[in-house]
Amino acid sequence: MITDKSDSSVCAPSFSEMLETINLAELSGDFSGTSVSFNFLRNITIEGIEPFIKYYCLSSGLNPRIIFGNYDTMQQEVLDRSSHLYSSSPDIIVVAFYLDTYLPDGWRADWSAADVMGGMAEFFADICQNSSATIAVNTFVPPFYSDFGISGAKNLPSHHDEVLKLNQLIREYVLANPARFVLVDWERLIRLLGANESMDYRFWYMSKAPFKRAFLDLYAKELVKVARALKGKSKKCLVLDCDNTLWGGIIGEDGLQGIMLSRHTYPGNIFYDFQKSILSLHKRGVLITLCSKNNEQDVWEVLEGHPDCLIKRDHLSAWRINWCDKATNISSMATELNLGVDSFVFVDDNSVECGLIRGMLPDVTVLQVPDKLYTYPPILNRDGLFDTLTFSAEDSQRSKMYRDEAKRKQEQIKFHTLDQYLASLSLSVAIHPVTKWEVPRVAQLTQKTNQFNLTTRRYSEAKISALSCDNNWTVMSLVVRDKFGESGLTGVLIARRDGAVGIIDSLLMSCRILGRNIEKAFVLEALTIMERTWGPRVWRAEFISTPKNHQVAEFWTSMGFQKLNCQDGHTFYELPLSTPRPEPISYILIEE
Amino acid sequence: MQHQENKLKEVLARIFNVTVDVIADDSSPDNIENWDSLRHMTLVIALEEEFDVEFTDDQVVDILRYDLIKIVLSEHGVEFI
Repeated sequence: MITDKSDSSVCAPSFSEMLETINLAELSGDFSGTSVSFNFLRNITIEGIEPFIKYYCLSSGLNPRIIFGNYDTMQQEVLDRSSHLYSSSPDIIVVAFYLDTYLPDGWRADWSAADVMGGMAEFFADICQNSSATIAVNTFVPPFYSDFGISGAKNLPSHHDEVLKLNQLIREYVLANPARFVLVDWERLIRLLGANESMDYRFWYMSKAPFKRAFLDLYAKELVKVARALKGKSKKCLVLDCDNTLWGGIIGEDGLQGIMLSRHTYPGNIFYDFQKSILSLHKRGVLITLCSKNNEQDVWEVLEGHPDCLIKRDHLSAWRINWCDKATNISSMATELNLGVDSFVFVDDNSVECGLIRGMLPDVTVLQVPDKLYTYPPILNRDGLFDTLTFSAEDSQRSKMYRDEAKRKQEQIKFHTLDQYLASLSLSVAIHPVTKWEVPRVAQLTQKTNQFNLTTRRYSEAKISALSCDNNWTVMSLVVRDKFGESGLTGVLIARRDGAVGIIDSLLMSCRILGRNIEKAFVLEALTIMERTWGPRVWRAEFISTPKNHQVAEFWTSMGFQKLNCQDGHTFYELPLSTPRPEPISYILIEE
Repeated sequence: MQHQENKLKEVLARIFNVTVDVIADDSSPDNIENWDSLRHMTLVIALEEEFDVEFTDDQVVDILRYDLIKIVLSEHGVEFI
């Protein structure tokens, strides 16, 4: 048993335990997790990573399929369109390569980092062209010693320096191509672990397998972060305890002067740094909530009155500051925010509270404040729990949008009927084929939306781009606003045509805008727009049942579609063009 | 100690997907189907972690038979009966 020294409450599994977990899962034949496939394009022996990827995938509700391409035939595999690399249709292509083996005649003395990057960019572009997979690329293992020892040799080429420059060019390349590429920064991982824990020279010289267990473990974790983000498993909401979590001490007992929270002094500076990491997540669009056993005014006293408290009430999307049990509180916030509890991360210092949530709400990820407090600040970022593949403007606005939503809910109390209230909202929607700038957000929605999602098909940015250019497909986006503010791009409808039949492949909407009949307006308008260009004689639609989308089981029926048949939770519907359409919703303005 | 012998057999059983009783002194890639070079690397990682040792490159090659694994582990201070 290996103790994860940074978190004394949870022990990281030993290698044997990981193998045991994998064996049990494979024996049980339980393949209920979301499947994800990796294909390694490599010129090193990297099969050793397989158990680690399997373990972390299984722990995240993912069902992995891992294929290793032929050893050191990378160039051929990439250029051959019929190669297994492409025909296996992987979700993620992992390029795992050593520089010296990749360059057939070594690094020529007159080459600069930019020269080598040029060749690699062509290589990457070839993969991009022939596949729609997400491509993970590595930076190279940095030379551990400089070419000239301690002396700086001016004007003499240094291989060491060129490799470091090349690594930076690779990072920039990925930044410039975020739709298709993700970075697995070997250089950063080695810096984290140290050369000794990363490099296995025995296996390198014997079988060209360069890495030790600790590196393979970390490498696998990075890849599984990508898989989780791609498959809609990113966490969306943080639930924070207050006492001894956001600050040291207990506000109700120690008072504002007595709690430990300080920019400069120990140990309050540890909590200050932890709050900084919360703010950076907030900027990324993660929702921040509180769940604390306290009197409300005591908590606000800190948030509003303490000079070193970075978290303010304005950052919060919800809170439960009361004396009820935390499991009920967290479930209630999930309902309020229209999120599943499986998108929550809970942080608390108290073992009993952590144990309660682990037991009652096993889908919530629980992080306990570690005994070694100095290891506390990085815990939110360490495991990439909140990582998504793309970042859009919507993300940074998300918290404001939830606050606007709270205002809407308050207004609702003033009206007698729901329709009266809805009419007062001045709802307007824009419905159009997806624009180039909307592609990342549309892809993100397909990856993250679980509840109002009729078929739960996940698409990458590349795929959405490809569909939007295909004459037989239409990707429609829905942008919503009302008198309180912008809700943003919150709905996607994807349809394809098959002769005279129009088939709705996907329909999904963000939970934020449900309950206003916008979904009805969206579908009606989208069909009308597509009928103008396609002229189908009949529309077909599908509902694929998942544990999360029960609420939309009867949606197509409510839109006037006829149920055709149902098999294994997959229901098919049809709407002949002659069927009279429902009246447009009077209080929703459809913008031109 | 019997305890260490059991631990060792369990490690092999888990990695090569066989039952513990199949493992004997002459167990090697010759008679265990799944014992290929890739699994051997996995075996090395598991043994190093389970017994808290680090093998040299010579030893990595030496431990290609169950009785030899025990001998090399003993050289690292692991006590079997």
